[in-house]
Amino acid sequence: MPKTPMHNAPTRTSAELRGADILLRCLRAEGVDLVFGYPGGAIMPLYDALEGSGVRHILTRHEQGAVFAAEGYARSTGKTGVAFATSGPGATNLVTGIADAKMDSVPLVCVTGQVRSPLIGTDAFQETDVFGMTLSLTKWSRLVKTIEEIPEVVAQAFYWARSGRPGPVVLDVPVDILKAKMEFGGPVIFRPLANGSTSNHGLQWPHLRSLLESAKRPVALVGAGAKLSGATDELRRLLDELNIPTFATVHGLGAVPSEAPYYLGMVGMHGTRAANTALDETDLLLVFGARLDDRVTGEPARFAPHARIVHFEIDPAQLDRVRPCEIPVVGDLAETIPHFRAELSRTKLPDWSEWRGIACGIERAELESKGMAEPTIRFLDALFARLPENTFVLTDVGQHQMWAAQRYRRNTPRGFITSGGLGAMGFALPAAVGVQLANPEACVVCISGDGGFQMNLQELATVHRLKLPVKMVIVDNKYLGMVRQWQQLFYERNYAETDLSDNPDFVAISKAYGIHAELLGVDGVAGSTVPPATATLLDRFLNSPQPELLVFECPKEANVYPMVPAGAALSEMILEEE
Amino acid sequence: MHLFQIRYRNTQGTLMRILTAVTRRGLDLPYVQAEPVEHNHEVTLLLDVTPKQQGQLCRDWYAVVDVLEVRPATALKEVWEREVSTSLPPASATVAPRAQTAMA
Repeated sequence: MPKTPMHNAPTRTSAELRGADILLRCLRAEGVDLVFGYPGGAIMPLYDALEGSGVRHILTRHEQGAVFAAEGYARSTGKTGVAFATSGPGATNLVTGIADAKMDSVPLVCVTGQVRSPLIGTDAFQETDVFGMTLSLTKWSRLVKTIEEIPEVVAQAFYWARSGRPGPVVLDVPVDILKAKMEFGGPVIFRPLANGSTSNHGLQWPHLRSLLESAKRPVALVGAGAKLSGATDELRRLLDELNIPTFATVHGLGAVPSEAPYYLGMVGMHGTRAANTALDETDLLLVFGARLDDRVTGEPARFAPHARIVHFEIDPAQLDRVRPCEIPVVGDLAETIPHFRAELSRTKLPDWSEWRGIACGIERAELESKGMAEPTIRFLDALFARLPENTFVLTDVGQHQMWAAQRYRRNTPRGFITSGGLGAMGFALPAAVGVQLANPEACVVCISGDGGFQMNLQELATVHRLKLPVKMVIVDNKYLGMVRQWQQLFYERNYAETDLSDNPDFVAISKAYGIHAELLGVDGVAGSTVPPATATLLDRFLNSPQPELLVFECPKEANVYPMVPAGAALSEMILEEE
Repeated sequence: MHLFQIRYRNTQGTLMRILTAVTRRGLDLPYVQAEPVEHNHEVTLLLDVTPKQQGQLCRDWYAVVDVLEVRPATALKEVWEREVSTSLPPASATVAPRAQTAMA
């Protein structure tokens, strides 16, 4: 559908349309063909208008499932995810997903119904101040007050969700606006007014060159920005040219080829020994699109204590949060990295081979002993070794998330999807719905813990209804494992309220939803090689055209190592069971 | 005390986003004045912030859609004493002790 520039007088047609129809047409004009949601009173006109709109709606079984599914769609494609919910509880159920999208820079448009305009502010039935409630979680939001403004606010919503550092926006639309009619002149294009801020990163190059020339122990840290900007190829070329020890945040996994000789794996609280040690020793830290949150830095005051920091970042608000950076390079990595490479071609880099040899040397390789975690790691290795090329791995939050992140060795930039910033349990299963719908040919593997799986297991119904061939894995230790690990290590084994030994029978639950499920015990991964029966089971599981659930019963008190205790420096990581 | 002046377009929620950047850090807002200035609006805030918080706040404010300009000023103790202490309503005799207890 052609768009007309905003502020131009639109060409009117004689046909009057409802606000709901107009909103859907504007969504189509933004390229939306798939939305996730859950109907209710205040948003009924929008649902009434869905048929024939060209927008396919996916009914989840909870609004949180809808917003996580929209996130999965967005995270796997780079497109903007869209979620619908009604007013009141429908809107409040979106909030966790909105916060998740904010933390992990996911472009997301949430459309919420609202009570009739005259009732707003009267504590009407199912009225909540969703606009106010989400102010600090959204990049932009709007309570729509007239039908005439719908084309403009939809255009703005998508612009702000996608632009700069992507994030969530909310459109709160009263039901009377959805029902009202007007002549529709077509969607509009939003052109933001200039705000006067421009990037002058070109001014930073001479200083950066001199830092590089004097650096003795440089390293590179890669975050989500590399994927979000679509600059992965450019970044990989740059890293090859720099050839310095490199590591990634959990969201940066897949951006750096795992086989690159300079790649040290994941950094941070559960990062590799090599990565955390190199970060502790470096004198020049190049950060590419990472926020440097506390899970990456450890104790901020002792983060990279000897380093000068060069921070390539699209969002100026992320600079200097932990430590002042020596050189901020503000801009999209797709723009700044090519400029940096051009500058490098005019720079004679020092010989860093000795430093590289130390940082990447065998002395800092992972320890062989994994303690009680060994069976889980063997299981994940066996699973990951069988994944086809076109695969997305999603995780929930907790121990299984960190084990999976540590063992993930694939080179697909968007291939590893997790709730990293907010750490929202219950994310994986509904997000997998969105990923599978957006990527119908892909193998989508969803790994959850037994705690997180129960937070959104109602989405098994969505998986079953749509016959999505999602491959679900529950790493079942009958505990809230990560909390239990902390209780063991830092609260004298006071396992307060983390025992889930009375878990339901997940296989039976899955079968009740019509989804085939199987159980695998630790015996199934005993020994140094995968037993034939387990190999057969995993192959069948991954190659099935149907949804499948596999429950892996892992040792109850297995811990994730390495681990940096909260408040400690990265150099103080615990490497193994003491 | 530091004085900040933030110019913004007065669209829905912009002022509140400016303010929540302060309140999410647990900072008090002893003085706030928002007013139209030329074609836009300007809010003046007086805050007790560390240099690190000052930098974070300025960047957070710049990240708000429709914020046009952020001007941090130097510490202005005299402004606080002159304007704020005289313009605030007196504390309620019944509320103040309870508030002190709650903050103990």
